[in-house]
Order: sequence, then C-alpha cells, then structure tokens
Amino acid sequence: MASIREQFEIPAKMKTWAYGLIGAGVLAFILGLFTKEHNEFIGTIMYNSLYWMLICNASMFFICATTLAMGGWQVAFRRVPEAISKMVLIFGPIAFLVLIYIVFVDHNHHIYHWLSDEAKEDPILKGKLGFLNPVFFLVWTVLAIGLWALLGARMRKLSAEADDAALRGEEPGKSFIWRNTVTASLFIVWFALTVGSTVPWLWMMSIDAHWYSTMYSWYTFASSFVSGMSLIALFVIYLKNKGYLEYTNQEHLHDIGKFMFAFSIFWTYLWFSQYMLIWYANIPEETVYFKHRVQGPYKGIFFLNLIINFVCPILILMTRSAKRNYTLITFMAVMIIFGHWIDFYQMIMGSIRKDDAALSWFDFGIAAFFIGMIILFTGKALASRPLVPKYHPFLKESIIHHT
Amino acid sequence: MHLKYESQLREPLVYGDKTYHQVTEDIVRPIEAKPTKLWYVGFFIAVALLMFGVYSVYREVTYGIGQWNLNKTIGWGWDITNFVWWVGIGHAGTLISAILLLFRQGWRTGVNRAAEAMTIFAVMCAGQFPIFHMGRVWMAFFVLPYPNTRGPLWTNFNSPLLWDVFAISTYFTVSLLFWYSGLLPDFATIRDRAKTKLRKYLYGVAAFGWTGSTKHWQRHESLSLVLAGLSTPLVLSVHTIVSFDFATSVIPGWHTTIFPPYFVAGAVFSGFAMVQSLMLILRKVFGMEDYITLGHIEAMNKVIVLTGSIVGCAYLTELFMGWYSQNKYEGYTFWYSRANLFSPYGWSYWGMMACNVISPQIFWFRKMRRNLFVTFFMSVIVNIGMWFERFVIIVTSLYRDYLPSSWSVYYSPTPWEMGFYLGTFGLFFTCFFLFAKYFPVIAVAEIKYVLKTSGESFKDGMDNIEEKGSEEFAHEYAH
Amino acid sequence: MAFGQKFKLINMAKKTFVVGCFDDEEVLFPAVKKTRLAGYKIHDIYTPFPVHGLDHAMGLRETSLHTAGFIYALCGTSTALGSISWILTKDWPLNFGGKPHFALPAWIPITFELTVLFSAVGMVLSFCYLCQMAPFVKKHHFHERATDDLFVMVIETTGKTNIDELKGFLSNNGAKEVNVQVAEPGWWLGRYDKDQELIREQVEVA
Repeated sequence: MASIREQFEIPAKMKTWAYGLIGAGVLAFILGLFTKEHNEFIGTIMYNSLYWMLICNASMFFICATTLAMGGWQVAFRRVPEAISKMVLIFGPIAFLVLIYIVFVDHNHHIYHWLSDEAKEDPILKGKLGFLNPVFFLVWTVLAIGLWALLGARMRKLSAEADDAALRGEEPGKSFIWRNTVTASLFIVWFALTVGSTVPWLWMMSIDAHWYSTMYSWYTFASSFVSGMSLIALFVIYLKNKGYLEYTNQEHLHDIGKFMFAFSIFWTYLWFSQYMLIWYANIPEETVYFKHRVQGPYKGIFFLNLIINFVCPILILMTRSAKRNYTLITFMAVMIIFGHWIDFYQMIMGSIRKDDAALSWFDFGIAAFFIGMIILFTGKALASRPLVPKYHPFLKESIIHHT
Repeated sequence: MHLKYESQLREPLVYGDKTYHQVTEDIVRPIEAKPTKLWYVGFFIAVALLMFGVYSVYREVTYGIGQWNLNKTIGWGWDITNFVWWVGIGHAGTLISAILLLFRQGWRTGVNRAAEAMTIFAVMCAGQFPIFHMGRVWMAFFVLPYPNTRGPLWTNFNSPLLWDVFAISTYFTVSLLFWYSGLLPDFATIRDRAKTKLRKYLYGVAAFGWTGSTKHWQRHESLSLVLAGLSTPLVLSVHTIVSFDFATSVIPGWHTTIFPPYFVAGAVFSGFAMVQSLMLILRKVFGMEDYITLGHIEAMNKVIVLTGSIVGCAYLTELFMGWYSQNKYEGYTFWYSRANLFSPYGWSYWGMMACNVISPQIFWFRKMRRNLFVTFFMSVIVNIGMWFERFVIIVTSLYRDYLPSSWSVYYSPTPWEMGFYLGTFGLFFTCFFLFAKYFPVIAVAEIKYVLKTSGESFKDGMDNIEEKGSEEFAHEYAH
Repeated sequence: MAFGQKFKLINMAKKTFVVGCFDDEEVLFPAVKKTRLAGYKIHDIYTPFPVHGLDHAMGLRETSLHTAGFIYALCGTSTALGSISWILTKDWPLNFGGKPHFALPAWIPITFELTVLFSAVGMVLSFCYLCQMAPFVKKHHFHERATDDLFVMVIETTGKTNIDELKGFLSNNGAKEVNVQVAEPGWWLGRYDKDQELIREQVEVA
C-alpha cells in the first residue's frame, strides 16, 4: 500500500516563474508611473487589484457553498481552494491601499466623480452622498475585506482539524461538520451583503456616479466566481501533473468543469438580462453606460468579452470528454480567467476612460504582478500543510466520487 | 460496479430495513388499494372549487372583462398576479429534478416525482389566466405565429408577451416529457404486478412496452441527463421571461435589471414552499415517512431560507436603488407606494416582507427546520407572501403613474375574479388527487437506485468501511 | 394472425433463450463477466433500475442520443432565428418601438425556447424510436419481477448450445431461478391483459 504524497514541495521552476512575473510587474509599474497618464495608471492598478482579489475570494465562496450543500465530492482537493483563498490576506490589503489612495490621498474625482466639489451641487449626486462618501467608503471597505479575511481564516483553521486523527468517529465528525456549517453560513451571509450587493456598487458602479443598475453586483459576482473556479481548476491540474492529489481524478475535474460551464452560462444570462433590459427600455440615463461600449471605442473589447466568456465555454465545454480532458480544461481555464479580466477591464476602464480603449503592455504587466503573487503565495500556502484533509468525514465519498 | 458507500454522518434517505421488493410494495400499494374516505372528501372539495371557477370564468367569457374590477390604470390585477404566482410555483419541480440532479443532492429522489407533477399542474393553472384575460378567449389562437387571414401579418416577435407564449408552452411540454419519461419504468412496475385486467391494460398502454433492458436504461439515463441539462436553463428562462413582461417597460418598480434572477429565486422559493405543503400531507396520508424523511424536509427548508434570503437581498437592492438612483419616480414607487405602510397598498408590501423575508429566517435554526408543524405553517405563509409580492409589483406600480390626473381608484377584486383564482386551486388539487391515486408518487426506480447507498439498514452495514483509514480505503476501492 | 400479416417487422422467428434471474446486482456483475468469457451471447439484461456500469460490463457501446439532442437543438436555433429574421426584416417589416428591424436581442428569448423545445421533443421521439416504445406496443417479458426486484439475464442460444450445461452454469454463478423460454425477441402491437403473440406456431428448435 503506497502512501500518498501529502506534502507539497515548491519546485524551483515555480518560484522562478513567480519571481519573474512579479519582477515584470514591478518593472511595468515603474515604467507606467513615468509613461502612463495618471488616471490610466491608477485605473489599471485598481481593476487588477479588485479582480484578482475577488477571484481568490471566490475560492472561499466555493468552499462555503459546498460545505452548506453538504457536498462530499470536493474534499479530495479542498485544500487547493483553501490555499487560493489565503491570497485575500495579501490582495485584500493591496486593494484596500489602492482604493484608499484613490479616495483619500489622490482624491481622484476623475475616477470617483462623487469626490468632487461639483457633486455637492449636482441635483442627483448630492442625494447620493449619504452612501458615496469617503467615511462610509473607508468603513465599509475595511469591514468587507476584514471579515472576508477573518471568516476565511476561521474556515481554514477548522479545516486543519481534519489532519488530526482525533476527528475519527461519529461524534467528533458531526461536531466538525456542524462548526463548519456555522462559519460557512456566516461567510455566505457576509458575502451576500458585500459581493452580492454593496461592494460592487461602492467600488465599481460609483465610477459612473449617475448611473445605476440593480443587476450590477450579481453580475460582478458571476464574473468573479466563474474565473475563481477556473483558477481552482488550474491549480488542481498543476498539482496532478506534479504527481500530487492522488485522490483527485477525472471525475472531480469533470465536476469542476461543470461549474465552469454552468457559471459561464449563468454569467451570460446575467449579462444578457442587464443588457437587453437597458437596450429595450432605451432610457437615456441607462443607455449611457452601454453607448460607448457597444458603439464607441470599446466595441471590440465588448464583443471579445462575449465571445471568450460565452461562445467559447458553451461550445468547447459542452461535451463530457472535454470536461475530463486536462489539457482542454487548462486551456479553457486560462481563457476564462483572461476573459473575465477583460470584463473587469471594460467595466472599470470603460468608465474611467470613455474615449479610448487600449489594452497595452501596462495592463498585462500589472496583471503579471498579481499572477506572480498568486503563484508564489498559493504555492507557499499549499506547501504549508498536507494536501489532503486525511480525516475529513466526507473524504471517502470524494475518493470514490464518480459522475 | 461502484462501491455503494456514503458517509454514516449523513442521514439515511430511506428508513427501515427495506428490500427492493419492499420499496415497490410501499409505493405502489396506495395505487392498488381503494381510495380512502379522506381522498374522496378532498377530491370532491377540489372538484367543487373547480366548478365554481368554471362558473366564474363562464361569467367572464359571456359578459366580458367587466366582470372583474380592473380599471383605467390597473389593467393587470388579480389575474396576472395569479398567473405569475402559479408559474412561480411551477418552478420547483423542474428545479428539484434538474438542478439538484446536477448538484448531486441525493435527497431529490424522494420528492422529485410529486414535485414534477405539481409543476405541470401549476403551469396548467397559470396558463388559464392570460388566456382568459384576453377577453375574447375564442380568439386565443391569434397568439400563434402563422401567416393568416389578416394578410400575412405575423405576431410581434419583439413583444415579451409573445415570448411568454413560447416560454410557457415550451416549459409545459418539456416538463411533461421529463416527467413522463421518468414515469415509464414505474408504470411498467405497476403493469407487471397488476392483478386486475383493466389495470394491466391501462398501465400496459401507459408504460409504452418498457422492459427494463440495459440498453434502454442506458439511453434513458442519457435522456434524463440531457433533459435535466436543458431544463436547468429552461426553468431559469421561463420566470426570466415572465419578469421581462414587466422589466422591459419604463414603469418605475417594473423596469429594474435585477428582475430576471430575482424572479427566478422567488419562483424557486414559492415552489419549494408548495412542495413542502404537499409533501407533508402526502407522507402523512400515504404513510411515506420512511421515504420522505425529516432529512428531506430539513433540506427543503434550507432551500427555502436560502431563496427567501436571496429574494430579500433583491428587495433591499431595489429599495436601495429607489433611493440611490435619485430618480423621483423610482423613489416615489419604492418609498411611498410600497415601503410606506400607510400608503393605500402599503399593507401588501409589508405583508410580503413579513412573509417572505423576515419569517423564513427562523429556518436558520435546526430545531425549526425539523419541526413539522412550523414547516407546514411556514410553507403556507411563504406562498401567501409570494402572492403578495406579485400583487405589490403589479398593482403598486400601476395605480399611480406619471400623470396624477389618471391615478386610479382603489382596486379590489370582484367575487368572480376571486372565483377564477379559487377555481384554479380546484383544478390544481383535482389533478393532484388523481395523480396521488393513480401514479406512483415517489420514483420507485430512483429509490431503488439509491437504496443500497443511502438506505438505513445498508448504511448500518458500512461500519467496517467507515473504520478504514483513508489510504487503505483508497487503495482498495479507488477506481 | 391479424397482427402478423400487417406488421412483418422485426424477427420472424422465435428463438430459444436461457433465462437466469439474480436478486442482487453484486452477484450479477461477476456472472456477466464469466458468461461473456465463456462465449455465451447475452441477449439482454433486464433490471428494475439503472445499474451503473452494467452497460460497460455487457460490452454495449455508448449511446449517441445526446449528440442527436445537440443536432435537434441546432435545428431549433436556426428555425427560430431564420423565421423571425425573415418575417421581421423581409416578409413584413414593422416598426416596433423605434427598434431596428433586425432586433437581435429581442429574439434571443424565443430562439432559446425553440432550441430547448426542438432538442427535448426530438430526443424523446428518438428515444422512443430507438427503444421501440410507444403506447400499445407489446414485448415478451422474460420475468415479471424484472421491473420489481430481479435482475434477469437472458442468453440467446443457437443450435449448438448445450442448454443443460448453460442452466447449470447460471445456477453456479448465483442465479436464483433458471429457465428456458421460446420467445419472440421483437415487438408487436398488443395488449398486456391478453396473451397475444406475433407468431403463433412454435419454431422447431434443433
């Protein structure tokens, strides 16, 4: 009976890549600081930090949602989303600093129009200042990121108990499941109050300070969740290729693939609902959001977004064999992460720079920094404890999982 | 052959020491027995309600829509409220069968059959309202797109009302096919054990000559899986399109982009509440406590608290945007017409909030989720609340529009308007009583499929597997 | 013979089958494997519920029903988009609310519905056709408890088969009940409350 490789050791190549990407990112940052226009510079850093933080946080949402659904199938690779969700501890503060810089230091009313003095006289904006003001912004941002990090850490701490043989048996098992359920539901409730509603309004929708759409937050959630699933898929496949995660196989990959497929369609559904309703009702205050995106400089990116995030997943991931194919899932996961990064680009930059859409070396450079960080720190988090929660009560179900 | 195992920490889905044959016996016996007195009483009450409904509709058809109290700006009232309410209820069946199948929630096997039946009957009820709302119901075929005697003038494909025609009829057809294809093996079971000639003949016809051949099962599974896959977006699309009836307009309170997913969540919410009410009655009347267990009821209550909270999140989002938009019409609709308890219809908004958002929160407590009385009470409350929701959306947005001179008088329904609604209850329960008597209310083959994994006595026998270390277990059983 | 004249459809001869009934799928699986190794031809196995992996054990090929479903879906999509765009841009263009004649976003809902409808209806009809199932269709049932609690393995014999040996083989492999039946393998129109057959005369078994 061969024993499993439960301790991940970071390969040198992984470190090299991570440092390389981070280095490229830092270089891009320095070059951008001197060559890029200020708003483009800060906007690019802003959408990247929000996007990468949200997709890492989506891992914790995945863990909590499956915990509440009493899922057993995901236990074999559960440590992977746990490790990814740890990124919130790093990306959270980064995003926080960026936002606080914009609001308090830079006082950038080009990005957040509600910061300007005109806003106090604007008949619409002045009514919104109860929500859109620096103090509330600060408090809510601290609470949002802080509680994601805190509750996430609690979930990870609970998970550590599954490395201990004391969890065997009925009573400890039941209590373990119960405590997981409680923390998971707290996280989900907080997630609904932040990602599912207020936070995308505050951080992103308020860039178009006059404009509003009730769908906006759920749309943002769908976008970040489907890319979060793709990120999980990438790490699972990486570990499989390195010979880890012996209990995870095609069956699990198939189910991850189903999530990627289903939530791509769900994202499209929300996209269509929001777009079609605004197009159909044709109210000028609302269509202003789409005007330059569909007919102006963002046209190409707008349709590219739809092709990458809808047409490709639905056609490529539809079949059973595609969802069980490591290469194809890797390809699609990269594609989806890129696609929704584009989506965040057009959501944020499309509002900050309405007359000019140019994805440049700078966007990719900043993205490289965040990707490098994910590789480096997720790798460290993976190496910091066993890859399989050996005594998790549902592990055996996960081992024999079949679709 | 896969190992039949699940964690002993999970509650069994089937209680008692069952064999395959015992499962057949338990579920098919009520079909073979004479109906009980209670059944007759219920059935005749349902038929009586249906008759009252038929009479109410007869008045509406002969005398016209004037039999209802719809007025100048409130052109949609009880009828469309009831339509949306029934369509919403008709969502849980397909959700249980399709989405829970994809999310691998084992407990769906106990309740899917009855839930799907409920879906079909609810959609039938829903369909009545827009059809009779047309007024000249004999012209109802005008909604069908065909080159006709009016010159080759077609229907308006850009209209959400026509989308509804397609959505509801597709949904009805696909749900029926899904339900019936699942019933085929169970009809065959009844046929093969039938003692009377008539039963053998009728179930023989109904079973389409099903034999249980492995090749047929293989195709059947493929069919079920694809139908489930199709039904998942379909079920979303149907209530989405119903929400488009409102949201494509420019009416404050109707035109809001969150409507599609929020309507779907509300539909699931009310559908589950109705399934819950019916299941609690079914398990009691037919003695199905071994198959529809407390675990099933608790799981459904979890879905109720989840969807109730999603709906609550959407209500608050709308309310917030009513203010945040700083659009005075939006603000007026949300903060005066609705959220102000003392506005003419304020009672309906707060009724909705109390029933849909506040009261279901007691299901955060496990004790409440497992309490049959509380569950039944709450399932009724939720359905009342969801009726309020549709009433709030329709009436409070219509009774005061942009032009104060055309604000309408207070709207309350006539007896015939209410009679129509009661009549659809009659239709629904008539169908449901017939279903409960003549159809297997629990999917026999599906219970057998999970029996050795999730049956109580089989789970008790898994002690030796449960004691194994994970590495040893994986070594022996992993494929 | 009324039916016989009208529907000369499938097998015009009865065949002899050896039937082994198992009461546990865990016994069935090894028996299937051994039967195939021994070179017997399994006509079919009738089970009360879908037994996972049995089709593979029997060596059946995967069904391509879902591929058919995909093709039907594409038919639905193109029917909807084709008809609506022809109607609203060529046949009778109308101005609805100032929208362009080619108002694609407004057509998505109906397109989606017809996609699903075509796919679902087409698949169910294909399923019924492939399985030869319809109301009033009758087939020979090897054991009436095959839809209750028995797993019925039916082996087709040829003139060379040693039937007694085969019966012994099945019993040794766990079959609770073994018998020999001469039956029609196809389907015919008939009623389940009456004994009807397509071919009445017994076929000589060598």
